[in-house]
Amino acid sequence: MINFLLRRLFLLGTVLFGLSLLAFSLGYLFPGDPLQNFSGIRQLEPQLRAELTAAYRLDHSYLSQYLAFLNRLWHGDWGLSLASQQPLLSEIRQVLPATIELTSYALLVSFLFGVPLGILAAIKPEGYLGKIINTITVAGYSLPVFWWALLLIMVFSVGLGWFPSGGRLGVLYEIPTVSGFMLVDIFLAETPYQQVILLDALRHLALPTVVLATFPTTVMIRFVRDAMLEVWEQNYIKTAKAKGLSRLQVLYRHGLRNALLPVIRQIGLQFSALITLAMLTEVIFSWPGIGRWLLDSIYQRNFPAIQAGLMIISVLVITVNMLTEILHTFFNPLARKR
Amino acid sequence: MLLLDIKNLTIELETPDGLIRAVDRVSLSLKEGETRGLVGESGSGKSLIAKAIVGVLNRRWRIHADRFSWLGQDLLRLSSEQRRKIIGRDIAMIYQEPSRSLDPTAAIADQLEEAIPSELLEGSWWQRPFLRRKRAIALLHKVGIRDHKAILQSYPFQLSEGLCQKVMIAMAIAKNPKLLIADEPTTALESTTQAQLFRLLASFNQLRGMSVLLISHELESVARYTQNLSVLYCGQLVESGETSNILSQPFHPYTDALVKSVPEFQPELAPKAPLYALPGSIPTLQHLPIGCRLGPRCPNARKECVKTPMQERLQNHFYSCHFPLQYKAEK
Amino acid sequence: MRKFRLYFEEQHRSPLAQLWREFARQHSALFGLALFSSFLLLSLVAPFITPHDPYLQADNLLLLPPSWSEQGLVQYPFGTDDLGRDLLSRLLKGTTFTFGLALVTVIGALLAGLALGALAGMSQGMKSSFFNHLLDLILTIPSLLLAIIIVAVLGPGLANTAWAVSLALLPQFVHGIRNAINEQLKKDYVTAYRLDGANNWQVLTRLIIPNIWEKIIVMSSMALSTAILDIAALGFLSLGAQAPIPEWGAMISDSLDLIYLAPASVAIPGLLIFAAVLSVNLVGDGLKTAMQRRRES
Repeated sequence: MINFLLRRLFLLGTVLFGLSLLAFSLGYLFPGDPLQNFSGIRQLEPQLRAELTAAYRLDHSYLSQYLAFLNRLWHGDWGLSLASQQPLLSEIRQVLPATIELTSYALLVSFLFGVPLGILAAIKPEGYLGKIINTITVAGYSLPVFWWALLLIMVFSVGLGWFPSGGRLGVLYEIPTVSGFMLVDIFLAETPYQQVILLDALRHLALPTVVLATFPTTVMIRFVRDAMLEVWEQNYIKTAKAKGLSRLQVLYRHGLRNALLPVIRQIGLQFSALITLAMLTEVIFSWPGIGRWLLDSIYQRNFPAIQAGLMIISVLVITVNMLTEILHTFFNPLARKR
Repeated sequence: MLLLDIKNLTIELETPDGLIRAVDRVSLSLKEGETRGLVGESGSGKSLIAKAIVGVLNRRWRIHADRFSWLGQDLLRLSSEQRRKIIGRDIAMIYQEPSRSLDPTAAIADQLEEAIPSELLEGSWWQRPFLRRKRAIALLHKVGIRDHKAILQSYPFQLSEGLCQKVMIAMAIAKNPKLLIADEPTTALESTTQAQLFRLLASFNQLRGMSVLLISHELESVARYTQNLSVLYCGQLVESGETSNILSQPFHPYTDALVKSVPEFQPELAPKAPLYALPGSIPTLQHLPIGCRLGPRCPNARKECVKTPMQERLQNHFYSCHFPLQYKAEK
Repeated sequence: MRKFRLYFEEQHRSPLAQLWREFARQHSALFGLALFSSFLLLSLVAPFITPHDPYLQADNLLLLPPSWSEQGLVQYPFGTDDLGRDLLSRLLKGTTFTFGLALVTVIGALLAGLALGALAGMSQGMKSSFFNHLLDLILTIPSLLLAIIIVAVLGPGLANTAWAVSLALLPQFVHGIRNAINEQLKKDYVTAYRLDGANNWQVLTRLIIPNIWEKIIVMSSMALSTAILDIAALGFLSLGAQAPIPEWGAMISDSLDLIYLAPASVAIPGLLIFAAVLSVNLVGDGLKTAMQRRRES
C-alpha cells in the first residue's frame, strides 16, 4: 500500500512538472511582451523593466528562466492581473471556493440521484421503467448546458418566478467571507436573519446546481446501470442466490459493492468534464466563480490571469483524480494486488 | 421416500430461429444417502439439469416435466419465493470454477459466515457472531483446512483453485443439506487435489448421509465414487442404473463406447492398440437429429432409430435403445 | 415480416450484416440514424436550398415573429433576427458550420490519432512509457478548457476553433486507439502472424486495424458529440464563430439580449444543437448495444 502511494505521488510530481512547463511556455506563446505576460504589470518603465528582467532571468537561457518561474510560483508570486493590477493568487482565492462549492453540490446530487436510478434501470432492463430512464438519460447528456440553463431560467425564473436568475445571494444580504463557501459562511455569521439568508442562498443555488448536475447524473445513471448489469451476470451472484439469499440481500451485499467500485473512479473522471460545464454555467448565472473569472480574463486578453487560472484548474482536476484513484484502490482489494 | 423425483424433464431454449430442445425427456431419481453420477460430454445438458433443479436458469429457458418434485413437493408449481426457501434449506451446489463463484471483494470469512443459516446456531442473539465464527472454523477443519486463520482473512484471488473449491464445499455443507450437487467440481483442479476432493465428498456421504449428485465428463472418477450412474448423450438419457452393472455390461452403444474409450476399464488392452471411439462428433444445437440423437454415429443404427426410443428396464437397469447390446463379447 | 422458409437453412451472415441486423432492431437507434443522415445531408446541401441569403439584411423586416403568430409571414417561417436576416436560412446554413465542421474536426483528429496511436501502441520500452505519461498529463485537462486556451493563444475565429477542437479531441483518440492496439497485441493471433514473418506494418494494417475499427467508430461518435457541443459552446462564448457567421451557438449568444422579445431565436438554435447531439448519441449507443448483442448470440 505504501508502495502504491509513493508511486502515485511520483506520478503526481511528474504531471505537475509537465503542467508547469506548459504554463511557462504559455508566457511565450501568448501574443504580447513576455515580460508583461509573466509579471502582469501594465506600465513597464525602463528601470522597472531592467529590474524585472534580471529578477526573472529573461536575459539568460530558457532553463534558468524556467527555474526562476518555479521559484516565483513556490513563493506565491504569481504575478499581477493585467486588468486589476492585483496579485493573482489572492484574486483566485476569492473566486475559487464558489466554483468548488457549486461543483461539489452538483457531484453530490449526481451521486444521490444517479446511483439509485441506475440500479433501478438495471433491475429490469427491458421493462417500462428501464426504457423511460434510458430515454431520459440519453436526452440528458445530449443537452447543450448553456441552452438548458437558458431554458430553465425562462421557465422557472422569468416565467414562474420561483428562483432568481443569477448571483449567489440577494443584494440585500451581506455575509462576511470567512471560508468562501456560502453555506458555511452563513452558519458562521452572526446575524439574526440566518434562516432567511440561508433560504435565499439555497434558492440562488438551486437552478445552477440542477443545470450543472444534469450531465454527471445522466452519465452516472448510465454507468451504474452498465456496471450493475455486468455484475449481475457473474457466477458469484448465482452462488449467492443458490445460498438461499433473497434478491434484495444479494443486491445489497454482493452486487452493490462490486458494481460501485468502478463508479468511484468514474467520479474522478467526471470532475474534469464538470469544470468546463461549470464555466459555462457560471457565465449564464453570473456566478462569481473561477470559470467566469477565467472567461472574463480571456475576453480581456489578461494573459497572466489566463496562465494562473489554467494552472489552478489543472491542479484541481489532477488532485481530485488522484484522490479518487487512491479511494478506489483503498476499497478495492483486487487493485491492491498490484 | 425419494429425495428427488424427476420424470420426463424437458428444457427448451428460445432462439430467434425457434425452440431448441436442449434436454429431451430425462428422468432422474435420488434416494437418501445415495451417490449418483451424471455423465456426458460437454453439450449433453448435464449442467442444465443441475441448474434447473436449483432454479437459476434465466427466462429464456423453458422447463416442462411430468414430475419434478423434491421430497414429494412439486417444484415447478411453487412460487420462486417458496422454491428459494426449500432449495436454500436442503440443496447445495458447487461449481466448476470455484474462484469465480466467490465474491472478489468480500473476505472468505464473510462469505462463509453468510452461508451458515441462523437456525442452526443455538444461543441468544448476542452470542450469535461468536458462534458463527466458531462454526465457520469448524467447517473449514472438516474440509481439511488446518490453517483457518490465514484463509478466513484472505480474499478469493489469493487462494488456489483447490482451496477455493474446499471453501465452496464448506459453504455448501454449512446448512446440512440433504443433497449436494457437484457440477464438474474438479475440472479446474490438479489431480492430487481431485482425489482429495472426491474422498471428501465420499466421506460426507457416508458419515452424514448426504446424497451427492456428481456431474462430470470423466467416467473414471465418477465410476469410482458413485453407487448409481446416469449417462446422457446430447440431452437424452441413454442409460442409468448401478455403476458396477453399467460398467460390466453396458446396454447402450454409447455407454459401451464410453467404457471402451477409458483404458483403465480394459485390463486386457494390448499395448499400442488403438482405442475405440465412435466416428463423428456431437451435433450442434441447430442440427439435432430426430429420434435417437446418437443415430448418425451409432454402429448399430437402423431404420427404426428415427423414432425416439422409450425407456426400458431390466432389473433396475434402465436403457433407451431399440437395439441394445445384449452381452459383452466373450473374452 | 419473416421470410417464408420451406426448409430450415442455416444462415451465415457476415459480422457486418449481423451488426446491422442488431442495430436495426433498436427503434431508438434507427431514429437516431435517420436524424443523423438528415443532418449530414443538410450540412452538404444547405448553401443551395436556403430560401433567402443568410447574410442578407432586410431593414424593413426586423424582428419578425415566426410564421405561426399573427404578425408572421409565410416567407419567413421562423421569423427574422434583429438585423432582418431570415432565421430559417441561417439555421440551415448553420448546419454546415456546427455539424459539418464538427464532423471535419473529428475526422482530422481521428486520422492524426490513428497515426500517433499506432506509433504509441506498436512501440515498446522507454519511448512508449514517456509518451504514455505525456498523454496522461494532457488527458487530465478537459477538452473544452484546452480548446479555450488554444483559441486564447491563436485568437477567435471559426478556423482557429476548428484547429482548437481538433487538437483538444486528439488526446482522447490517441489514448483510446493506443489502448485498443495494446489489447490486440496481446492476442494469440498476432503472435501467430508475427511468427509467420509479418513485419509491424503488415500486422498493423492487415490484422489490428480490421479488428479495432468498430471500437474506433464508437469512439468517433462520442468525440463527435463532444465536438458539436464544444464548437457550439465556443460560438456561444464569442470565442469561436464570429458575426455574421450563422453558427448555432453564436446565434444563441447574439439573440441573448432579445430573449424576451423573440424567445424563438434563442430556443430553436439550441433545439437543433440538442437534436444533432442526440442523434449522434443515439447512433453511438445503438452501435455499442448492437456490438454487445452480436457478441452474445
